[in-house]
Amino acid sequence: MPFEVLMPPLSQTLDTLVLVEWLKRTGDEIRKGEPLFLVESDKATLEVESPATGTLQAILAEPGSEVRVKTPIAHIIELGESLPAASPLRIPVATPPVTGASSDAGLDWLPPARAQRIKASPRARARAQAAGVGLAAVPASGPQGMIVERDVTAYLATLPTPPRVSPVARRMATAEGIDVAAIAQAKPGRRIQRADIVDAVAGAQKPAPAEAQFGNADAVGGGALRAALDPTRRVIAARLQASHQASVPVTLMREVDATALVELRTTILADLGDQAPRPSYTDLFALIVARCLLQHPTMNGTFDGEMLMIPEHVQLALAVDTPRGLVAPVIPGADQCSLLTLANKRVELTAAALASQLTPAQLGGGTFTLTNLGALGVDAFTPVINPPQIAILGTGRIRPAPAVFGGQLAIRQMMMLSLTFDHRVVDGAPAARFLGAVAEFVEKPFRVWY
Amino acid sequence: MPELSIAEALREALREELHRDPRVFLLGEDIGVPGGFGGAFTVTLGLAEEFGRDRVRDTPISEAGIAGVAIGAAICGMRPVADVQYSDFLFNMMDQLVNQAAKLRYMSGGTLTVPMVMRAPVGATARGAQHAQSPEAFFTHVPGLKVVAPATAYDAKGLLKAAIRDDNPVLVFEHKLLYGSKGARSEKGAVSPRGEVPADDYIVPIGQGIVRRPGTDVTIVASLLMLYRALQAAEELAADGIDVEVIDPRTLVPLDTALILRSVQKTGRLVIVEEDNLTNGWGAEVAALMADDAFVWLDAPIKRVAAPDTPPPFAPILEQAYVPSVTRIVDTVRSIL
Repeated sequence: MPFEVLMPPLSQTLDTLVLVEWLKRTGDEIRKGEPLFLVESDKATLEVESPATGTLQAILAEPGSEVRVKTPIAHIIELGESLPAASPLRIPVATPPVTGASSDAGLDWLPPARAQRIKASPRARARAQAAGVGLAAVPASGPQGMIVERDVTAYLATLPTPPRVSPVARRMATAEGIDVAAIAQAKPGRRIQRADIVDAVAGAQKPAPAEAQFGNADAVGGGALRAALDPTRRVIAARLQASHQASVPVTLMREVDATALVELRTTILADLGDQAPRPSYTDLFALIVARCLLQHPTMNGTFDGEMLMIPEHVQLALAVDTPRGLVAPVIPGADQCSLLTLANKRVELTAAALASQLTPAQLGGGTFTLTNLGALGVDAFTPVINPPQIAILGTGRIRPAPAVFGGQLAIRQMMMLSLTFDHRVVDGAPAARFLGAVAEFVEKPFRVWY
Repeated sequence: MPELSIAEALREALREELHRDPRVFLLGEDIGVPGGFGGAFTVTLGLAEEFGRDRVRDTPISEAGIAGVAIGAAICGMRPVADVQYSDFLFNMMDQLVNQAAKLRYMSGGTLTVPMVMRAPVGATARGAQHAQSPEAFFTHVPGLKVVAPATAYDAKGLLKAAIRDDNPVLVFEHKLLYGSKGARSEKGAVSPRGEVPADDYIVPIGQGIVRRPGTDVTIVASLLMLYRALQAAEELAADGIDVEVIDPRTLVPLDTALILRSVQKTGRLVIVEEDNLTNGWGAEVAALMADDAFVWLDAPIKRVAAPDTPPPFAPILEQAYVPSVTRIVDTVRSIL
């Protein structure tokens, strides 16, 4: 019996999901557990594994289409099995991609899956499989229009090898929108470090042309472009709008003296030496915020419009900027984590976010969000609450500034904290007290020991 | 070390085995007739005088009789070596070879052995359809027969001696254009390779192929005359940077499958060249074996270069077109690159 592949119910909030891409083509053999397709859920692209072993047949959903969850999107048949001729499953499939391995004319009598099979020598297939690449994009140069081994070899040579990048450089590059691959190409064989990103930022005088940013844009005259939002952006837009319409957001801002926090981090880094992970300011704030939330449990609650939920632990969401848009993966039980555990989890989640590999579990269940625009030079802003959460804390740039310290004018490491809260649930004064507690830990970080 | 032609090397093998083992004797048409050529291609020249007509026996023109005598002598403990003059005449012996020689050891539960050798010249040499065939494939299909096809003087001596010492019936196919026969028996268009042949007693084990030319891009498997055409094709292709590996199977049954497999694993491409007509030749068996054992190593379809499915034509120009040429081999290799 053909096995029905269903759109998985990956989202608690969305009834339809966008099928982004098939990772296999009709006629391809697939094993249970192998990645089969990509789907866009709340703020993340997820890889979905094949539920069965066999041959992928009758793809029913085309890439880019929105599909209701739990509806069939393809069938997997066992080896040697074929779909019944009168089966309603045999609906037209998407046009095969135009590659060197295009299907021949005169093969109409074959089932589409067979006619569109990529022609490749067994040796080329084995080579591609060993290298973990598909054959769909490989141009064919062999006899009978086949992809042969040399084609796979040539194709593999065109694939970029991931550049070696220091963690600081990678974070800066992400924040500044710098393509590390381009730097790696200019400086082959070298590990990319902070200075390389600084140079690249200085060198990037001109923003990329709009055409490059919007691949699907139409020119509408006068140099203007018109483009549909991509699926991730559509999700973000819908959620932000819902948040803004449902909640009553108020933002409090407070300047704090972070000199002691800066000194503490310097001491910690010196103490750790080369040991990974290297705690960032985000990690320090995660520790502080988790501590403060235990003392101000309402700020750690969630509100669905009727019921207020006060969880036992802090499920701390971290806003991460990715090329596909903003995501906010969650560190569960952040209040029970040490600084190094928080740092480890942040590194792990950020890497998964940048690779679009976050799972629904990693994205759900947050109770409070921490967002940092300091790396981009922002001091204060009005963060938007991620419903059903009640509050979000934004941290700004830490910079040397004149301040009164010990009755004297001094140059101190100053920063702004921006707390947005839902006034339906929390009043201004309790929110201010929470912000004050955070500020106190920033100014006197040794108090986390008390 | 003396350089010998294949005919001379075969003669040396026969002489050595006649000396070594009193059970060995030769039989065939015109192989020892006074004033004759020493068989049709000079292989037995002088042996009747040297060993006497009891051990080098001329027979009537009766191939069924030759086979029957050889089989009877073999099961009674002799080691006959029969000269078949033209391999086409093996078909006169088919019942004797297929129903008797090949089966007696099995049918007797191993009580009987049939240690006999049939030497049979093959190849199209302007003699017409009944004297021009290359029928090796027929005999590769019969369980109980071994089939060898030496293409050099060294292998001719070593394989014939191994065949004579084997306890099973062995067919030794020799090519008319490779003998290097001289005088009245010299052949037009002959290749006549000469090679160093040790004067001492050695054998080439039955069942071992050999790489005649190492290469990386394509494997060609070819025996007898086709081996030389394949080597020539390899040289032409080398001029274009195409590196061909040429394998001489030397034995068709049992076939050195491991050697061919190793080569195909390296090159990913296989061309088989045979002088016989295409359909159901031994090349088809090599192709099937490699489609099975080497499937994931193949980077192109397996190709066979063979004669058309017609009898060999008598007209020399047609015969030239019939037998696979260097050009056809080169074109076939190019078609799978």
